[in-house]
Amino acid sequence: MPSRLKRIGCGLLFSLASSMAWAEVVVVVSAHNPLATLTRSELADIYLGRTSRFPNGQPATPLDQGESSPIYATFYREYLGQTPTQVKMHWSRLIFTGRGQPPRSLAGDRAMVDFVAAHADAIGYLDDVHIDERLRVVTID
Amino acid sequence: MQRKPVLIAFILLMLTCGLPLAAQANTPSLSLNGFGTLGVVHSDEDQADFVSSMLMPRGAGHTSDWSAEVDSRLGLQLTANLTPRLSSVVQVVTEQQYDGQFRPAIEWANINFDVTPELSLRVGRVILPVFMNSEYRKVGYATPWVRPPLEVYRTIPVSSIDGLDVSYRSRIASATSTLRATYGQSDSTFPYTDSAMGRATAEARAREGLTIGNTVEQGNLSVFAAYSHYRLSIEDFNPLFDVFRMFGPEGDAIADRYNVDDKSFEVISLGARYDPGNWFVMGEWAQTSSRTFLTDNRGWYISGGYRLGAFTPYLTYANQRIHSQTSTPGLSQPGSEALDAMLNSLLQGQPQQKSISLGLRWDFSSSMAIKAQFDHMNHEGGSRGYLVNSQPGFDPGGSVNLFSLALDFVF
Repeated sequence: MPSRLKRIGCGLLFSLASSMAWAEVVVVVSAHNPLATLTRSELADIYLGRTSRFPNGQPATPLDQGESSPIYATFYREYLGQTPTQVKMHWSRLIFTGRGQPPRSLAGDRAMVDFVAAHADAIGYLDDVHIDERLRVVTID
Repeated sequence: MQRKPVLIAFILLMLTCGLPLAAQANTPSLSLNGFGTLGVVHSDEDQADFVSSMLMPRGAGHTSDWSAEVDSRLGLQLTANLTPRLSSVVQVVTEQQYDGQFRPAIEWANINFDVTPELSLRVGRVILPVFMNSEYRKVGYATPWVRPPLEVYRTIPVSSIDGLDVSYRSRIASATSTLRATYGQSDSTFPYTDSAMGRATAEARAREGLTIGNTVEQGNLSVFAAYSHYRLSIEDFNPLFDVFRMFGPEGDAIADRYNVDDKSFEVISLGARYDPGNWFVMGEWAQTSSRTFLTDNRGWYISGGYRLGAFTPYLTYANQRIHSQTSTPGLSQPGSEALDAMLNSLLQGQPQQKSISLGLRWDFSSSMAIKAQFDHMNHEGGSRGYLVNSQPGFDPGGSVNLFSLALDFVF
């Protein structure tokens, strides 16, 4: 009896974990953008204002979601290893020297899908359930 | 003389407050940003004042038990993106000035032109990047501490220069390198206590100021090195050396060795920061040299912290030492005793201290942080450290404790 319960419990946990794994934050560009992969440091350079170009030399415009949204925190934690406070501190070092402004912020995944789809230089992140054929998921390694 | 541009900048800022602040990339846009610190500091030494910059005369200790004048400031910045390659920045900072008054002053006002995405050119009042954290040394929110360690940052209190700045960014493998050269001049008025124990001000003029600095960033590591050279004059002290010159060749030699009249002044600084996310450590080392009464100094600090959610406890150790002579036999001629004593008091007035600071930063909201910091400073070699306005009852060479609270914000 206890072992069966344990099995059920484990199965439940497993399916929960896998369903959470499905709802992933992915990095996207427009389908018109040939970009397929970026390294973590290339992505960090684009999002932290150290470069305004993709590795192929084309202009890059990074886009953020709302600073207080959970996806913002997840993106910066998983891909850049930084907390929202660290990101804010980083930008306060650049803004007050006139060396840059943080990425433009869009409200929600839908707005992100539409904006990135319409701009070949845009790069954004969203929950992968919202991906459609107008977008290309960028592999980050 | 600075009143007019300040007024114009303020009017500009006020006008733009009412405008929608667009952040479009390709259309002209204006953005208004601000930063500030509301800070109080208490010193347990009541016979002198602790100040955070040699440009301020009033501080904590003698003037006030708890002083809000040491760390508090407000900065407003207007950035105009005129075309994708042309932009302009005006930053006005209100803080305690050399006369003890809180007044706005233009920190930066320049026009930036991106010749290529990697190469940019600025003209106007530009950043003086002498130290690793120079560019945002006044933005409390951007640093872990209540104030940047004085053992390094006090040596060059100025953070802007009138002239031009060339910045070149390049990639070396996976690292980003930013090379910057700044050329220009700056004038700053500073307060001091004269030989009659009265309050006086003097003007330091830096000319032909060249600073070359390089920052290399790779992942979590950032390394900085800079070299600066100026021709420095503090004419207010020339009369003292003119008296020395009346004593003939021996007096001339002393005047040429110790005066600050178009003298070469050099600063070398090195720094590194490692910040993998949960913790950070950073350190800087700086050396100043000149053949003046300002003596040759070496200062350094090491600071580290650990991030526990919204709380960041941090610890800093810092040290500043003079490595040139702090006394001179002077003329040692009959009747020169008072003059020799004045020169020696200038030399001994240069600070030497070590300090340990323990603090806690609390990021309680998305653009605000509260910091509490305890500093224990030991004045070495009989110096007054960074204390000013010392009273007859003050005993140099001792130790002083500070307790500071600060609220930092950005918008």
